[in-house]
Amino acid sequence: MVNTRILDAEFGYLAPTALDEALDILNSKNKVKVLAGGTDLIVHIKVGAEVEMDYMLDIKRIEELDYVQLREHCCDLDEVCCIGANAKLSRIEKEAVIVERYPALAKALSLMASISVRNMGTMAGNICNASPVADSVIPAICYGARIKLKSADGERVLPLEDFFVAPGVSVIKPNELLTNIALPKPKPHTGASFIKKTRVRPDVAKISVGVVIERDGDKVANCRIAMGAIAATPAYLKSIGDSIVGKTMSEQLIKETAAAAARTIKPIDDNRTTAEYRTAIAEILTADALAEAWKNAGGEL
Amino acid sequence: MTVIGTNTARIDGPAKVSGKQLYSSDIILPNMMYAVTLRSPYPHAEILSIDTSAAEAMGAVCLTYEDICVYEKGSASVVTGPCSRQNEQAVPAMYNERSVSVPNATYRDRTILPRKARHMYEPIAAVAADTEELAYKAMKALKVEYKVLDAVYDPLEAMKDGAPQLYDKIYLGDKEVEIKNNIGVIRKIDEGNCDEGFARADRIFEDDFELPRIYHAQLEPKGCTAAPDAEGGITVWATAQSIHGNRQLLGRALNMPLSKINVKKITIGGAFGSSIQVNTVTPICAALALKAKRPVKLLSSREDDFYSHQKYPAKFHVKLGVSNDGILTAAHVTALIDFGAHQIQPLAFMGCTAGWFASLYKYSGNIRFDGTAVYTNKTPCCAMQGYGNPQINFAIESMVDIICEDMGFDAIDFRLKNYRGVGQEFWGQGPTIRSIIKSCGVEESLIKGREIMDWDKRGKWQDKSGDIRHGLGLARGFHTSGTAGPKEGEVIDYSSAFIKINEDGSVDVVTPVVDHGGGTWDAIAKITSEVLQVPLNMVGLSPADTKNTGYDVCTHATRGVYCGGAAVYHVATVVKEKLLAMAGRMMDEHPYQLELIRDDELGQGVIYAKGYHQKKMTVGEVAKLAQINSWGTIQYADSYRQKNCPPCFTTHFVEVDVNIRTGEITSPRVLIYGDCGTAVNPDLLYGQLIGSFNRGLGYTLYEDLPFDEQSGELKNKGMLVDYKMPTSWEMPMVKNVIVRHADTFEPSGPFGAKGIGEAALASVQAAVTNAIYNAVGIRFHKLPVTPEKMLKALKDGVKEVY
Repeated sequence: MVNTRILDAEFGYLAPTALDEALDILNSKNKVKVLAGGTDLIVHIKVGAEVEMDYMLDIKRIEELDYVQLREHCCDLDEVCCIGANAKLSRIEKEAVIVERYPALAKALSLMASISVRNMGTMAGNICNASPVADSVIPAICYGARIKLKSADGERVLPLEDFFVAPGVSVIKPNELLTNIALPKPKPHTGASFIKKTRVRPDVAKISVGVVIERDGDKVANCRIAMGAIAATPAYLKSIGDSIVGKTMSEQLIKETAAAAARTIKPIDDNRTTAEYRTAIAEILTADALAEAWKNAGGEL
Repeated sequence: MTVIGTNTARIDGPAKVSGKQLYSSDIILPNMMYAVTLRSPYPHAEILSIDTSAAEAMGAVCLTYEDICVYEKGSASVVTGPCSRQNEQAVPAMYNERSVSVPNATYRDRTILPRKARHMYEPIAAVAADTEELAYKAMKALKVEYKVLDAVYDPLEAMKDGAPQLYDKIYLGDKEVEIKNNIGVIRKIDEGNCDEGFARADRIFEDDFELPRIYHAQLEPKGCTAAPDAEGGITVWATAQSIHGNRQLLGRALNMPLSKINVKKITIGGAFGSSIQVNTVTPICAALALKAKRPVKLLSSREDDFYSHQKYPAKFHVKLGVSNDGILTAAHVTALIDFGAHQIQPLAFMGCTAGWFASLYKYSGNIRFDGTAVYTNKTPCCAMQGYGNPQINFAIESMVDIICEDMGFDAIDFRLKNYRGVGQEFWGQGPTIRSIIKSCGVEESLIKGREIMDWDKRGKWQDKSGDIRHGLGLARGFHTSGTAGPKEGEVIDYSSAFIKINEDGSVDVVTPVVDHGGGTWDAIAKITSEVLQVPLNMVGLSPADTKNTGYDVCTHATRGVYCGGAAVYHVATVVKEKLLAMAGRMMDEHPYQLELIRDDELGQGVIYAKGYHQKKMTVGEVAKLAQINSWGTIQYADSYRQKNCPPCFTTHFVEVDVNIRTGEITSPRVLIYGDCGTAVNPDLLYGQLIGSFNRGLGYTLYEDLPFDEQSGELKNKGMLVDYKMPTSWEMPMVKNVIVRHADTFEPSGPFGAKGIGEAALASVQAAVTNAIYNAVGIRFHKLPVTPEKMLKALKDGVKEVY
């Protein structure tokens, strides 16, 4: 029986203050789980999900990972916004650079969970939890985010959409730590949108859609679409987005693109909603998200 | 200015907001142990043995069926020695956790711990240790041998021959009763002449309605701390709506004299009815403390709590006869209640449900009710805000809407023609508790509501267009205020109070009445303040327990202010007479020539000679002189029973927006009309009305507790994360929540007050679904109406959704 009152686990607790120290721990010990905000990890332990953990590595005291800042160069990108692994969701949501440059991400964060959870949780943690419905991930994929995975051996950079394998499973290695997220600077005439349907407002999504469109006059210069809660991982619908590049935007194009997107999804029934409902509204939400992003890019319909 | 009827800061506000208010989980005693329960992983299983040796080796004290005090079968004498599974003649005390009905109207089917688990995660053993974590570990070390039995979840399946049987025999009062086909209770009520009434009808409407199980979600999960004393007694701090109910049940279950049991009145973190009965953990905790000979604290996890008690689900078939001039001629309701694994008085539940049904409209006096309540291997159901009222109200108020739509009646005019109002009989707690309605806000709420909400402009669903369809619906309801009537019935109702005037003019009140969050203590202090003309901040609510108070049945049935407050009013009135008598003796005046007036500057009341205010004494001077003269303390204690059960009425006008692309339903605006007679504290009244609208939105649009019929588990596994209740985001904007308070005065209530708490929920559900019908023309007969169901109905073109 689930018991969320009593933490039924014994483990070593490590709370280093330097990144190198944390990477050493990950490299030298087995069965280490990283605690950034704890809003997923602690819940997993309490609800009896299979968490193999001999050590809990609390990275909250590593100050060098707590930042949201513009950098000239990071993760093989120029002029990026970098978000450290220790930056709290509520801080990211309110940072001027996020609100101005990445409004769809700011919106997704503002709709995420409750204020108390956002005060604890981090975006890096939201990514590493590898949920197919992660709210921050959907718009971040659309913005072309990259992530940096560091270990005692070195580091590697991945496009965010390549990080996920299955629910709760990612390509991160046991000795790696996700240290930061890098968001490229959107091109001029770029518009974005994020739409999420939930049972009540502070909730995990039944389904979510993110769109970032770059406009060239009345034509689509670039389009990235991602959806949450419709497959085993956060879904980047690359071919759908690519298929409208170079085309003249119209209501008809939106309708066709949304229908095409809805055909690609593989939703399931769960406690939040049904596969039937997800299928029924995927097309509607995608159409709405495309139209909104286009308008935000300065386009007309 | 009077104290009653004005907004004053809640007396328990400072302690609550500063974290100083004590709840049962705050009680920490020297040498205390912490306990957890072991819960059956099967919905239906014989417990053949429990090996506690490994747990005991860890330093734990364990409580199993073998430890429960047993009686010789058919006798009141206790068998010495531990309970034996082999000795069929030795049986533990069998009880019903809820004890507000008289004994011969109470079915008893459970013991402190069972020999057979009858629902998933029923507690079957308990373990105490020096820390909660150690107790948890020791609990996991218990080895249980089960004989797993087939389980049944559907009430219709449960009634079939050959279905798994939960019980062979239970008790009704002292009589043994055989249980066949899992039918726990059958209740039939027939008044007037239904056949004749239906024969006289021009039209007959019949339809089905269904409401789900939902969860109370009170803030505080149920807990208990119990401390044995050196004299063989025990003191108990429990999450409870009735301290005396807890004491009496513990006396029976533990076979202890009542004078050895003291249940402390303590703040509880809300209830919504979830602690009307003695909570399952309370006798377990007390028995464990007696065995350990140390204080024991047993707190439920939220998941334990989900599996402890839930709201009664209901299935109704409703038949109403109507004449062409819009008069209801007869009514027949058939009810099927799946109450789960134990009886927490479904007999009373069905009686009450029949009463709410019978009291909504006159039906020309022709009323029939056929109720069947069935055991299933699910969590037992108990009262939850309304005790059948929101359930049957949804069915009847939906039917009234159906009739009005079909026959072209105005829904307000029709209700005004048929409702039961002043001079008519109201069933306050089933067929045996009835009184005559003396105050009624129905007319005001409907007539003013029509104007405020532009009812006549709401239009028909056929004429609406766009992606968002707007609808306006209404429903009216009520609840009783208390369970007392001019005659004694199935349900016990009276309260007690003790009041004394201190030597400085301040006043102490001792009352057994529990406040489950609605502000009952606040009202009791204000009633005392008003009667004795003492400033509110000079009224002290004393700590109270079962040793120093007379009986109070329970803070249930919306009776806190009307019944508990009335006992305080009665005792305070006698204390005032004594005060004036004492003052008359000192001032050389007849008491009736004196008057008592509050003086806020002096911080006490002043007694004046009528018409000659130069002659005066303060209340403190009188009390002090009486003490110096050795004349005695000005005080009085008594019990008091109300002789009425007046309905408090509500009417809800609800606007909805239905998004026909996504099926989402929101409420942009609502008018909540409440009639509680005098509002003792208007802010608290508004809080109850608005909060209950929120809960009603949850019941109508969000909440459900589906079981997995393979495992017997709840699909949400008892976790709040998958039990979504509407938040403030799902409410209309503050400016669009319009609350009105009907201008009524209840002659039998303290200062004209009656209740409101449960009434505040009764009519929300039907008002919302009637508004949905007005928006999209789809009639939802089953709750909750989720976006999934709405979108499916819209896509399939279905107009009736069951």
